[in-house]
Amino acid sequence: MSNQATVFVVDDDQAMRNSLKWLIESVDLEVKTYASANEFIRDYYPGRAGCLLLDVRMPGMSGLELQEQFIEQQINIPIIIITGHGDVPMAVRAMKAGAVDFIEKPFNDELLLESIRNALIMDVDQRTAQSVRADIATRLAHLTPREHEVMDMVTSGRANKDIAKTLGVSSKTVEAHRARVMEKMEASSLAELVKMAIAAKNAKSS
Amino acid sequence: MPLLSILIGLFCGMVVWVVLDQVQPRALRQIFSEELNTRLDQQARETLIRFENYVTAHTSATRLLSHHRQLSSYLEPIYWFDNDDISPVIYYENPPWLPSSSLWRPLIRPSYILLLDRKGRTREIFNVGDEVLPGELLTVDELFLDESRVRAYLTRFQDKPYLLVSDIAEDATDTSMGYLMVVAPIESAFLNASQQGVSAEGVVVGLLDADEQRFLTSSDPYSVLVGDSMEEVAENYLVTAQSFFEYGSDFNIQFATMVLRSVVEATSQRVAGVERRQRVVAAVTFITVFTLVFYLLSERLNRMLRRMSRFSRLALGGEQPVIESGNQVFVVEDWIRQFIRQVRKARDEMRLEHESEMQESEALKHAITEAALDAVISIDESGQIIEFNHTAEEMFDHRRMNVIEADFQSLIIEPGSYGQFQNLLAKFSSVQGPVFTDARSEMEARRADNSAFPVEVAIKPIQLKDRMILTVYMHDISNRKRAEQEIYSLAKFPSESPSPVLRVNRLGVITYANPASDLLVKHWGCEQGQTLPQYWRRRVADVLESGKDSEIELTCDQTTYSLLMAPVPGLEYVNIYGRDITDVHLAEQQARQHQQELVHVSRLSTMGEMATGLAHELNQPLSAIANYANGCTRRLKSGDGVHDDLVYALSQISSQADRAGEIIRRLRSLVAKQPPVRKVADINDLVREVNSFVVFDARKSRVVIEQELSLEHLLVRVDVVQIEQVLLNLLRNALDALNEVPEPQRRLAIRTSRLSSGSVLVEVDDSGSGIDAEAAVHLFEPFFTTKETGMGMGLVISQTIVEDHSGQIVAEPLPEGGSRFSVTLPGYQVSEDK
Repeated sequence: MSNQATVFVVDDDQAMRNSLKWLIESVDLEVKTYASANEFIRDYYPGRAGCLLLDVRMPGMSGLELQEQFIEQQINIPIIIITGHGDVPMAVRAMKAGAVDFIEKPFNDELLLESIRNALIMDVDQRTAQSVRADIATRLAHLTPREHEVMDMVTSGRANKDIAKTLGVSSKTVEAHRARVMEKMEASSLAELVKMAIAAKNAKSS
Repeated sequence: MPLLSILIGLFCGMVVWVVLDQVQPRALRQIFSEELNTRLDQQARETLIRFENYVTAHTSATRLLSHHRQLSSYLEPIYWFDNDDISPVIYYENPPWLPSSSLWRPLIRPSYILLLDRKGRTREIFNVGDEVLPGELLTVDELFLDESRVRAYLTRFQDKPYLLVSDIAEDATDTSMGYLMVVAPIESAFLNASQQGVSAEGVVVGLLDADEQRFLTSSDPYSVLVGDSMEEVAENYLVTAQSFFEYGSDFNIQFATMVLRSVVEATSQRVAGVERRQRVVAAVTFITVFTLVFYLLSERLNRMLRRMSRFSRLALGGEQPVIESGNQVFVVEDWIRQFIRQVRKARDEMRLEHESEMQESEALKHAITEAALDAVISIDESGQIIEFNHTAEEMFDHRRMNVIEADFQSLIIEPGSYGQFQNLLAKFSSVQGPVFTDARSEMEARRADNSAFPVEVAIKPIQLKDRMILTVYMHDISNRKRAEQEIYSLAKFPSESPSPVLRVNRLGVITYANPASDLLVKHWGCEQGQTLPQYWRRRVADVLESGKDSEIELTCDQTTYSLLMAPVPGLEYVNIYGRDITDVHLAEQQARQHQQELVHVSRLSTMGEMATGLAHELNQPLSAIANYANGCTRRLKSGDGVHDDLVYALSQISSQADRAGEIIRRLRSLVAKQPPVRKVADINDLVREVNSFVVFDARKSRVVIEQELSLEHLLVRVDVVQIEQVLLNLLRNALDALNEVPEPQRRLAIRTSRLSSGSVLVEVDDSGSGIDAEAAVHLFEPFFTTKETGMGMGLVISQTIVEDHSGQIVAEPLPEGGSRFSVTLPGYQVSEDK
């Protein structure tokens, strides 16, 4: 999995790009370099595994602007900000906007590589969570409206009798709905179903 | 002359009489003949009417007789047959068919009364007179009869005229038996009876056969004979002939009225006599009147001429006409004409003179009224406006033509001032006679737009023959009123002024001080009426001597005044006008400080930017070098380092090192370009200057900067801007440090002194939080800062500058808390330049 991951480097300084590539490749990671944010956007497509090393101070589109654009487009690639001395306020802004880490030039190679590794792990986690959410969403889509209702009520902790009363059906019918919901949602227990419901809600609200 | 006029009068009277006399008798005669004709006509008509009346009397009598009971009872038993032999019965006495003759005799004078049968044959005859009945009447022609009514008829039998009156005769049974006829011969007796003796003397009536122009009968058979022709009669008589219309006749018989010519002649003679008398009276009258008139006229004319000549001699200097022989009337006429010319000329001259006088006086009066600065309005006793001058038009905004005859009071005077105006008017109405005083008073008037304004009103009466005119002079005194108010308010002016206003005399005694100058007066330690301090006394004297305004600033109790001292030479006074310029000062200081701050910030930011840029620039190659080096190390450690790759990386390291070196070189050359600027300056001045930059901030932080400056000049040879920068940094740092302690503890002092070595020392002490031991180590390192917004360059730069000036900057904590920064600079010896 880590073999598929790529470390994307965006820096206007060619020496920086090349030296970073040289350093990161020394730990057997795939590295792609870009001289500007625009160049990167042209090449990148969402869903590519990896992380982004971004210089905040660049001519043209700055690192922060690129970051904002990603947030807008809901691209979740983990970003590590590279700053020079004195760019700390800018780095802080970047962190607040969701960057995973920031590293000051000149680099401590251990810190940098550690940060990259963390970012890649985060990327993998994000992807997994995303695919789980997508699964739940697919399963939810298979529920009938009545089954949805029943699921909502069940996951909010209401008893079968109570649900039957609210919906104006027999508790047996509720029992049947509930069984079908569990089946469709591939949930082995009520706890699992509740987890799925929470995940689905988070996905919806994010 | 009188005689002549009498003669002329006589002559004229005669002439007039003669002329009139020619006309008058002719007219008189004409009137006479006309009158005569009228009278003849009238006479004729009268006589005819009498005649006809007489005939009517016969008709009436006949009617009476025919209807009389005697006749009807007589006829009752009788019946006349048509073929009877006729042998009329003749009565000479009263017949049985007639009533007593006394009944009808006074009325008529018939010769016969006949009874006729229906065929007109005479059956019975009453012979009243003794004449023979004309044969024609034995059988009466039907022409003379009328079956329905009584009828009168004039006819002629044997040249004798007769009147035949017939009426129907009926018996008692109303059966018509025939006719009763009264026959009367018309002869002189008849005619005379008809005229009943009323005929005037010499008047004769008769009947005339118009065809033959021959008289048939007349009332005077001796004068006018039967058968006389018209011509014969006309010799002696004036004849008027009139036709009958009533009595249808078979002959053309006319009624003639004759007046004896002799009677007319006599009347005519009488008239002529009267006429003659009248002519004489007229002649006498005319002549007398004319004579008198001429005489009186000439007398009057004479007198007039005499008077005129006297007048002309006296008044006009004309010549008295000389009565010469010749046509004196012409002479007189010429002379009169000349006289009239002279009179006219004199009159023209006088009129011209009078007119020009009038015009002059009018023009003068007009000019005076129109050009008058006051409104001049004439009113009559009832208060009506009769004159309104130009100024009045402007003052009250009324047009003259609109206000003439308007009521003065209601138009011009403000209602509130009616009483005053009436009082003024009352002065004149109560005084009668030629002695008048004028009266004046102040009141309110109003304009056309009802706005009121104060006026002074003076009234002058003018007594004319039959009435009194009042001339009202009105003067707009609103300006004067305003001026009075202004003077009044001006007097209050200084006392109301928020700025100090004082007056000081030559001796320096305050003669006036307004309330706003309390602070100043207190500052001087004196009161109004007391003397100013020595220094100010001198200044007052100086100002008075120079005679020029002088301005001086004075600060007392945190308030700064600018005092303008203005001398009033004539009165030996100096007026002092104070102006609080604290805020102005403050504003000036602020402005200056802001400017300085700007300079400072720009200077600092340039340095900061340069430093940041420098760091970034250097960071790039250094980071690259580190990356390559680390990469190499890892590869070498892991043993998979390819030789060529390592060589590449090392060469990269080398080139990046070159790049860093290049940056540093570039920077150095940039710094080298700025030659140091050095100037000799007193460090005290620099401190004062810098102090002024931060006064505002200090006040904001409620810090009083204590300046303890050396009294002697501490000269240094420095870049003034750079050293000021250093001092400014120190002061700012101190102020920042003070902000971290409570207000009461805040103290800041700046001190200058000369060290024994000759160096100059500037110390900045603050009572702030002080410097801890750790900070003290990094104090002069770049980018070290304890402030949130600090750059960490201030002290670094300061140190650089001071060291550049061969000086020293040292920080040390103060034992009582706070810190002290000391800057030592080499002192400047004057001899150095020499």
